[in-house]
Amino acid sequence: MREKKRWNLMPYVWLLPSIALISVFVVFPIAIVFKLSFSEISKAGVVGEFIGLRNYTEAVNLPAFKTVMANTFWWVISVVGLSTLFGFAIALVLNEKFAGRKIARSILIFPWATSLVIQASVWNYIIKYEYGSLNSVLLNLGIIREAINWRSTYQIEFVWECACGIFVTVPFVAFCVLSGLQSIDRSLYESATVDGAGFLSKLIHITLPLVRPALSVSTVLNIIYVFNSFPIIFTMTKGAPANKTDTMITFLYMLSFYDRKKGPAIALSVIGFLILCLCAGIYMVTVMRKEDAA
Amino acid sequence: MNSSSGRRGNLISLIFIMVGLALTVLVMALPAYTFTASVYTKKSSNTFVGDEKYTQVLSEVEEIAEGYRAQGMDVEISENVTERTNSKGEKTSLVAFSISESFKKSILSFICSALPSGTVLGVMLVLMASSLLLSLLGFFGSRNETGRSLKRRPAVLRTIASLCLLISTLLVPVFVLMNNYLFWRKVSLFTGDLITEGRDVFFAKLDGFLFGGKMGEGIGDALKNLNMSFHPIVFLMILTLAVAGIASIQLRYGAIKKKLLRVLLYAFVAVVCVITLYPYYVMLITAFRSNAETLDMYFLHLLPTKWRWSNLSDIVSRGVPRFLLNSLMIAGGATLLAMLCGIPAAYAMARMNFKGKKFFLGFVIMSQMFSPVVLLIGISQLMNALHLNDTILGLVFINAAFNQAFAIWLLRGTFVAIPSEMEQAAKIDGCGTIGSLVRVLLPMAAPGIVTTLIFVFINAWNEYTISTVLISTASNRPITVGITQFSSFNMIEWQYLFAASLLATIPVVALFMVIEKHLTSGLTSGGVKG
Repeated sequence: MREKKRWNLMPYVWLLPSIALISVFVVFPIAIVFKLSFSEISKAGVVGEFIGLRNYTEAVNLPAFKTVMANTFWWVISVVGLSTLFGFAIALVLNEKFAGRKIARSILIFPWATSLVIQASVWNYIIKYEYGSLNSVLLNLGIIREAINWRSTYQIEFVWECACGIFVTVPFVAFCVLSGLQSIDRSLYESATVDGAGFLSKLIHITLPLVRPALSVSTVLNIIYVFNSFPIIFTMTKGAPANKTDTMITFLYMLSFYDRKKGPAIALSVIGFLILCLCAGIYMVTVMRKEDAA
Repeated sequence: MNSSSGRRGNLISLIFIMVGLALTVLVMALPAYTFTASVYTKKSSNTFVGDEKYTQVLSEVEEIAEGYRAQGMDVEISENVTERTNSKGEKTSLVAFSISESFKKSILSFICSALPSGTVLGVMLVLMASSLLLSLLGFFGSRNETGRSLKRRPAVLRTIASLCLLISTLLVPVFVLMNNYLFWRKVSLFTGDLITEGRDVFFAKLDGFLFGGKMGEGIGDALKNLNMSFHPIVFLMILTLAVAGIASIQLRYGAIKKKLLRVLLYAFVAVVCVITLYPYYVMLITAFRSNAETLDMYFLHLLPTKWRWSNLSDIVSRGVPRFLLNSLMIAGGATLLAMLCGIPAAYAMARMNFKGKKFFLGFVIMSQMFSPVVLLIGISQLMNALHLNDTILGLVFINAAFNQAFAIWLLRGTFVAIPSEMEQAAKIDGCGTIGSLVRVLLPMAAPGIVTTLIFVFINAWNEYTISTVLISTASNRPITVGITQFSSFNMIEWQYLFAASLLATIPVVALFMVIEKHLTSGLTSGGVKG
C-alpha cells in the first residue's frame, strides 16, 4: 500500500519509450493524413491550401469507386469467412491425437511464415496459362487433356486472389482455434459421450461455446489484416483491368503512386482509416469484455 | 444391435447389392463412348456452294463415301465453307468436304480392345462385380443370423468384398490417367510423328478397336480428327461404385467404423499437407530449372532434369546477398528497438497499477489496427521531414513502431503468467526494480521473450508494402522488394525469382517452427489474461 504514492511517475517513465515510438511513427502519420485530406495537393505532392471536402467528393466520384468498394467487401467477407471455416476444421483435426501430428502442424505453419509477395508470386506462376505449374501437373497426371486458361476473366482472377488470401490466412485461424481447443477440459467430452451425445451435438454444445473467445479474436484480427492486405492483389493483377480487381488498399496505392492523384488517394486513406476504426472499436469491446470476464 | 434391426440392415444391404449388380451389367453392355473420326477430307478452292465445281466435287466425294458404305461403315458427309474477301476485293470461297464416321463403343468392347486403359477398366469392373458377388454370398451365408453373431466365413467374405471394392475404387484415378495420358496424349504424339517407336503396333491396336481393322495404313490420318464423347452411362458407373460402397460399408459398418474414421482423418490431413506444400514444391523445383524449362508446359518431370546450381550464383551476382543483408539489418534493428521499448512497457502493464492503464492498452491495440498502407502517404511525408526517406534506418523505426502492439501484447502475457514473488524476494535482497527485472524476470520469461523476438523479426523480414514506397535506391532494398526486380512486364525470370524467394523463405520458416508451440498459447489467451 505504501507504493500507492509512488505510482504517479514511475509507470509512465517505463511506458515512455513505447509511447514515443508509437506516437511519432503511427499517430503522427495519422494526423498528417487527416490534415492533408482537407488540403489541395499537387501531382508532385506539394501541399496547397485548405479546400474542405473536395478531395472526398472527388474520391467518391471516381468511376472505379463503387467497384473497388464492392471488391473490398467481397474480398474481406470471402477470405475471412472461408478461412475461418477451413481453419476451424483443420484445428479440430489437429486437436486429435494421431501419428505425424507434429509434422502436420509444422507444415501448416509454412504459409503463415512466408512473405505474402513470395506466396503471391508462386501462385501467379502456378496458374499461368501457357506454362503454369497447375496445368503442367494436371496434363502430366492425365486429369485434363488440354491446358486450361485459369485466368480467362477478371472475375476468375479475383477468385484466385481470394483463394490465395484464404490459403495464407487459414494457418493463423487454425492455430488460434487450436489454442482455444487445447484449453478445453477433456472430461467434458467424456461425460457428454456417457450421456450419449454424438459428434455434432458435442461440437455445438461444448466446442463452439468454449472456443468462441479465441474464434472472435482471430476473426476480428483477420478482418483487419485482410482489409489491409496489399501484396497478393498487387502482385497477381495490380488491379487490372481498369481497377476491376482492386481492393481499397491497392486502389489508393495505385492512385497515389502511379496515377499521381494524391488528393483523392488521401481522402480514401481517411475513409479506410475510419472503417478500420470501426473494426478496432468492435475488437476493443470484445477484448475488454473478455478481460472483465477473466 | 438387436436381431430385428440386424435383419433390416442385412435387407438394405441386399437391396444395395442387387442394384449394384444390375447397374454393373447395364454399364458393361450399353454404349459408353461415341467416337467421331474423319476418314477422308477433300478441299476444293475457288468453289462456291451450288456452282458447277461444287456439284462435281460433291459427286466425287459421294462416290468415295459409297465405297466406305460398301465396306459396312456408317459414314456421313459434312462440308465446311470458308469465305474470304481478298486484297483485290474479290470474294473467294473454299469448300472442305469430309467424310466422317461415328461409332459407339461399349465399355465391354473397350475392355476387349487390348488397349492399356481398357485393361484397367476391365480389372476394375471385375473387382467390382466380384465384390458384389462376395457380398451376396456373405449375405446368404448369414441370412438366418442376427447381426451380432456373424459366422466367421461370411465375415471373411465381406471383408474380401470390401477389399475388392477399395482396390477397384483406387483404380478409378489410374483409369482416368491411362485414358487421358496413355490414350489421348499417345494418339496425339503418334499422329504428330513425335513418337516413332512401336508406332505400327499401337496403330494396329487402335485400328482394331475403332474401325475393326478397316482403316489399315490410313489409320494415322483418320486419327487426326478423332473425337470422343462420353455417354451419361459413364456416370452410372460412378453410381455403381457408390452403391457398392454403401452396401459394403453397411454390412461391416460397426466393425470398421473406427478404422474408417481414422482413414478419413489421415486422408484429410494428407490433402491439407499436399495443398500447403504444393507452392513450396513449385518454388523449389522452379528455382533450379533453366529458363527454357520454366516456360515449358510439357515439362514432364517431378524434379528438374538437371539441377542448375548456377541459378544461385547468378542471383548472387545480381544483388541478392545485399538485399538479404538489408533485410537482416532492418528486421534485426526493428526487433531490437521493439524489444527495448516493449519490455519496459509490458513490465509496467503487468506489474504496476496506474491511472490510464486501460487507456494505454487501448492505445496500443489501436495502433495495431492500422496497416501502414492506409497511412503510407503520411508516413512518406514524415520520413521526408525526418530525412529518413530511402534509408534502412527509417524502415527500422516504422517496423518497430508497427510491431510494438504485438510485442507488448505477447510480452505482457508472458510476464503476467510468472508469479511476482521471486521479484519481490529479489527486491528485499537489495535489488532495485531494474535489477529484479533483469536478473529475475527476464531469465524466467526467456521462452516468451524469444517467441516475441522471433515474431517481430519475421514480421519485419516479410514486410513489403512500406519498403516499396520508401526505398528507391537499389542497394537499400530489402529482399522482399529485391525479388521483384526479376519480374518486369514483358519478362519474368521465374527461376531467379524463386531462387531468391527460397533464400528469403527458408530462414523465417525455420524460425517460425521454433516458436510454433509458444505462439499458439500467446496469441489469444496470453495477451488478455490478468
